[in-house]
Amino acid sequence: MDPLIGMGALALMGAAATIAGASEDLESDIGSQSNPNSQVQLAPQMSYPHRIYNKAISGEPPSNALMCTIGGTVAYVMLNFNVSVVLALTIGSLVAAMVHGTYATTAYMGRCSSQKRFKQMVYLDVLRSHTPPIMGYSFITTFTILVVSYIMVTVFAHPFPLPLLAFIWGITVGAIGSSTGDVHYGAEREFQDVEFGSGLNTANSGKIVRKAESGLRSSMDNSWFCAKFGGPVTGIAFGMTVFLSGWITTVFDPSKGPAAGWESVIAGALIILVMIIYNRKMEVSARKEFGPYKEDKEEAA
Amino acid sequence: MSAGGSGEAHAAIPQNQLIAFGIIGGLIGIYAAFFLSNVAGGVFSFMGALGAICATIWGAAAVRRVASYGLGTGVPSIGMLALGMGVVAAMFGLAVAEGFGLAIAGPLIALVVASIIGLLIGIFANKVLRMNIPVMEQSMTEIAASGTILIIGLSVAMTGTFLFDVVLEDVITTGYIAVIFIAGGMALLHPFNANLGPDEKQDRTLYNALEKGAIAMIIAGIVALSVQNASVGMVTVLIGIFLWYYGFTGFYARVKRDAFKVVGTGLLPSEEELE
Repeated sequence: MDPLIGMGALALMGAAATIAGASEDLESDIGSQSNPNSQVQLAPQMSYPHRIYNKAISGEPPSNALMCTIGGTVAYVMLNFNVSVVLALTIGSLVAAMVHGTYATTAYMGRCSSQKRFKQMVYLDVLRSHTPPIMGYSFITTFTILVVSYIMVTVFAHPFPLPLLAFIWGITVGAIGSSTGDVHYGAEREFQDVEFGSGLNTANSGKIVRKAESGLRSSMDNSWFCAKFGGPVTGIAFGMTVFLSGWITTVFDPSKGPAAGWESVIAGALIILVMIIYNRKMEVSARKEFGPYKEDKEEAA
Repeated sequence: MSAGGSGEAHAAIPQNQLIAFGIIGGLIGIYAAFFLSNVAGGVFSFMGALGAICATIWGAAAVRRVASYGLGTGVPSIGMLALGMGVVAAMFGLAVAEGFGLAIAGPLIALVVASIIGLLIGIFANKVLRMNIPVMEQSMTEIAASGTILIIGLSVAMTGTFLFDVVLEDVITTGYIAVIFIAGGMALLHPFNANLGPDEKQDRTLYNALEKGAIAMIIAGIVALSVQNASVGMVTVLIGIFLWYYGFTGFYARVKRDAFKVVGTGLLPSEEELE
């Protein structure tokens, strides 16, 4: 394959993956899936019933794997009927988004009605206003993941079939959304009445912010908050993962011989090394700038 | 008290009945689809998916039973574990049966192998990892066995047969096994996970299992459109949509029954209400 075409396809994959990462994170934030979910689940028990969407669809990796695999399967079936690629990927993503919508709905209804003794109500307007954006984000995630998988199959001649690649990328985007994205929601948005930097005291568990600047806080507001930083940063993380992991084997193509294969391994190791050093420098400079905490200083003195 | 708690979940339907329902229903569905595969162009392959739904309801009840000992975040893991054991057992059973020229016994061998794997993992979890959950051994056996029936049932719905060489070609190499794995696994784990809480009720959870099993059936039908033919696929999809609707309305009726209140809109409960 012409290296220039390879690089172009890789750039497209990276761009699609960036969008996938961002939409994946915002999708999970609307429903407070993953880590923040434990506090949303706990809140009514600590007598803080709320109007936050409790979307408990397992962890992010399985739930994203589900929608991407369903999208990939439906698209693959349609491609077997010689339907145009764009239409096949779109219909596949649509079916996936609909299935994801039913999972989100049953999770919200089920979790809230299982908290009867804590007086947690099932608010149908929360369901009506939040489920469509959840489905919209899941459509974008599935579509972009299918674009990545389709490019891998057609341009890079990957031996795996489309549904299996979509499954693997679904798990990956969910894992990166969970590890990168959650950090920028969770405690930050749920515990804003707690002083910054004080950590999460056990006594504050479940005491989530339920009231907004105006009216009651909804999960849409959490998504708005995350769209400013958490979502984009997840997108960049996932886009970089896809781009850099493909870049080393596109530039140093292992199919050209063992020497190029080893060069790609060395390039990969170098990238990891540079990132470790960069992260370390950033952590040290952040500590110098913002820490240590006041209490720590007093204790030290 | 069933969830987040620490004890045997209250069950209106005894587990033994659900075991019988899952095994008998599952095997009848799989074998009916297999033997009727030459009738009417194979439209009866939807029976395999019905068998898979029986197994889903059984498996979800087993997940509920073991996870109510306070597994919490372990619920999704146990669903994935179920299908992991199931894939190994199902492929082993079908391949060995075909190897010995006993292809017809494939699902039965897979079921036995799955039970053995499940039992071993259950013993391992209790004795070595010291999880000390009283129903662990039995539940892991049940979960593995139901996962296996689920996988074979959905494969039959897709291909119309459980002969290993056909399954290998039409389900494994095409990658459809991925959707069986994840849609089946989620159908097992989601019902209890989605209804987790102290006021969880068995029938609501099981209606949710029916609804999620029907979604897996619809997807299997879509695959059958291309693996078999349009009429087979459409029959499976339509029956799946009907079962989904039945499952969802049944679930919603129980949500309205069980919830503190189901309101169109409203503020948070007042201080007096919370007292």
